[in-house]
Amino acid sequence: MIEFIDVSKTYPNGTKGLQHVNLKIEQGEFIAIIGLSGAGKSTLIRTINRMIDITDGQLIVDGTDVMTLKGKSLRKFRRKIGMIFQSFNLVSRASVIKNVLSSNVPDMPWYKVLLGIYSREQKIKALEALDKVNILDKAYHRCDELSGGQMQRVALARTLAQNPTIILADEPVASLDPIMADVVMSDFAKINREMNISILLNIHHVDLALKYATRVIGVRAGHIVYDGPAANVTQEILDQVYNGKAVPKSTDIKTEVEK
Amino acid sequence: MTVLEQLQAEPKNLWKRVLIFIVLLFIVAWGSSTIEYNGLTAKGTGIAYGIIYGIFHPNKALLFDMSDAGVPYLVLQTIAIAVLGTIFGAILAIPVSFLASTNIVPKPVAYFFRALILMIRTIPSMIWALVWIRVTGPGAFCGVVTQSICSIGMISKMYITAIEDLDTGILESLDAAGCNTFEKIRVGILPQLSAGFISTAIYRFDINLKDATTLGIVGAGGIGSPLVQSITYGRWSNVGAFLLALIILVLIIEYASTRIRSRLARGQ
Amino acid sequence: MSQLRIEKKTPLFDRIFKPEHIVLENGHTVDRPRSRMPLIIICLLLVVYVSLQATGFNMKTIVERGYQLSVILSKIFHPNFSYFPSVVNPLIETIKMSVVGTVVGCLIGLPLSILASSNINSNKPSLLFIRFLLSIMRSVPTLIYASILTLVFGLGTFAGTIAIVIFTVGIVAKMLYESIETIDMKPYEAMTSFGANTLQAFWTACMPQILPTYIDDCLYCFELNVRASSILGYVGAGGLGVLIRERTGLRAYNDLGMVLLTLFIVVFTIDLINDYVRSKIS
Repeated sequence: MIEFIDVSKTYPNGTKGLQHVNLKIEQGEFIAIIGLSGAGKSTLIRTINRMIDITDGQLIVDGTDVMTLKGKSLRKFRRKIGMIFQSFNLVSRASVIKNVLSSNVPDMPWYKVLLGIYSREQKIKALEALDKVNILDKAYHRCDELSGGQMQRVALARTLAQNPTIILADEPVASLDPIMADVVMSDFAKINREMNISILLNIHHVDLALKYATRVIGVRAGHIVYDGPAANVTQEILDQVYNGKAVPKSTDIKTEVEK
Repeated sequence: MTVLEQLQAEPKNLWKRVLIFIVLLFIVAWGSSTIEYNGLTAKGTGIAYGIIYGIFHPNKALLFDMSDAGVPYLVLQTIAIAVLGTIFGAILAIPVSFLASTNIVPKPVAYFFRALILMIRTIPSMIWALVWIRVTGPGAFCGVVTQSICSIGMISKMYITAIEDLDTGILESLDAAGCNTFEKIRVGILPQLSAGFISTAIYRFDINLKDATTLGIVGAGGIGSPLVQSITYGRWSNVGAFLLALIILVLIIEYASTRIRSRLARGQ
Repeated sequence: MSQLRIEKKTPLFDRIFKPEHIVLENGHTVDRPRSRMPLIIICLLLVVYVSLQATGFNMKTIVERGYQLSVILSKIFHPNFSYFPSVVNPLIETIKMSVVGTVVGCLIGLPLSILASSNINSNKPSLLFIRFLLSIMRSVPTLIYASILTLVFGLGTFAGTIAIVIFTVGIVAKMLYESIETIDMKPYEAMTSFGANTLQAFWTACMPQILPTYIDDCLYCFELNVRASSILGYVGAGGLGVLIRERTGLRAYNDLGMVLLTLFIVVFTIDLINDYVRSKIS
């Protein structure tokens, strides 16, 4: 369970990322966070595993107050939380399986990390994770030979191999074409259903958010302006979230998505 | 395809890594065989202590001594050797590199001059100094002529790359505009080469400055010979003063040369 | 407003030598900054004049005694092949010193370069300290290190090897931290997001990216070190330099020619091998 209690985040330059956010997220929910660029979607996601520090309020994840963690305890806490990025963040020169196996690194003794030795069990687990996202056959290819959609699935497999209870995804489909975006979103939905992993993702394309997520959070200028089931989202609500501007869809001609 | 099948299919490159490791280990073991550690010499610890003491307590009188045995004059002389060596080298390198460029002269001529450049590069500068010293006698003059010759090697190599990258399309259009050969070189070729040539010369100046110290050891002037003498006679506070001056000098020049070259590269 | 901007941004030079004001026929105006060329040339001539004075440059000596050079060079170009057996052992010593010095130096240089990379090490004081240390290592010539170390460790290859190690650490770490600062940090961010510490993340996410550059830098250093170590013997630190000092002292330039010929062949062969290894890697 993730609980935001009156959380605010002000950046050192004075920008307000989040303002008085209150949220309660149960285990196994699939949440899409929507909003304009710069509304605070990324900040909201990244405070949960403390890639960004909050400046006010309290953030409790599975009974742990996130702001009390540091050094080793923070790293241990992050083991349970997977993270997916817009630009995949894979080592492009390494093979697919090496990238998936890298999720084991924090738990390994230093000499095994140094020599890059992984056990048979770890390899099987990595291959199973690749199988779940349907790219088992690419296991020994180099990452830079893959397409964008395949790379995002490798990143997803890397996260799965770490047995997370929560997956955070920061614009996971923004760099993909509409068809691949749909495939990757259905992978997320499948993982959410079958493994009971909570999923929070930022998404720019409202149609995909409404199609796959069970709950939608609308963010505007650091405030939460909508929080409820995807089925209840109406045009008025979208107008409010997007401040009256056009609502982006995955089938739109590709324009500058969030940087 | 199942997970287990894919596990079997893993490319086996372990033996390759082990082989590379063994070869490397063998080379290092072979290399270490002559390098024997005989422990410190009888005075070793005293000397090591002396140097550390000297660096933190440099001879201040020497640092500000304005005579020709003092640090300021020796630093000036070292810079002067590097300046002249670089300028003469850079000028001498221009005809050599044109004669070694395959797009300017016939191939046999170019290869002859390339062999010459390779020869200049391979012979260590210290040996050039040992040879020149028979002509000029010991002193800073020897350093200048040595560096003039040695600089030709590296500078020519860089010049040749620049010359072979010349855009000859411009010459054609200048021909069409009715320019003579001199005008073509002045307007068509010089602007293309000047930035690269100057940048190379500045880079070489950086190298020559460090090299000038080394040349001093064989008697070719600069700060090198008094430094080595002080080391031999164990005058540690003098060693400290010379080393301090040398380090500061090299750091300043390295910083300045990097700044200037990056500005040249941006075309300012 | 525009007045203010000009005052702030105009370099000193353009304030002293005001730009030429050109009015075009259509009434538009252009400011043409004065050329800096005359100033640069004057400075350069001044520097050259001072340098000529400081070094005692004398063209007459070269013209009058230039024949000496041709006498020595002609001897060097007629190497004494029967001297070859005496060259072999010092040559092998030189190569061994460079091999060990390069390997040890490159191994020490790697962790130092990580500490000197501003995108990995966020601790500013330690970063600056390491960079300063590396600069000092590079700025003192190898031969000076060797002459000090021969006093500490005695004459021979050990002092020479240590001198090479120090030089290699300085140069490898500098080249390496410059390339580490240009790598893609996104995989590193991903590694930290799931709980890796700095070293684990660096080794797994960054090392594969810089490994080819690292090997390339090591090979380059090896080339430099073979040349550098060949003269270290001049101050008694083992290898070919011992012969170079002895033979020039005796004016036995035919023997020196043999030493140089061997060195030339070895350096050339090592360059070829390195080029082959490089092509294999990329």
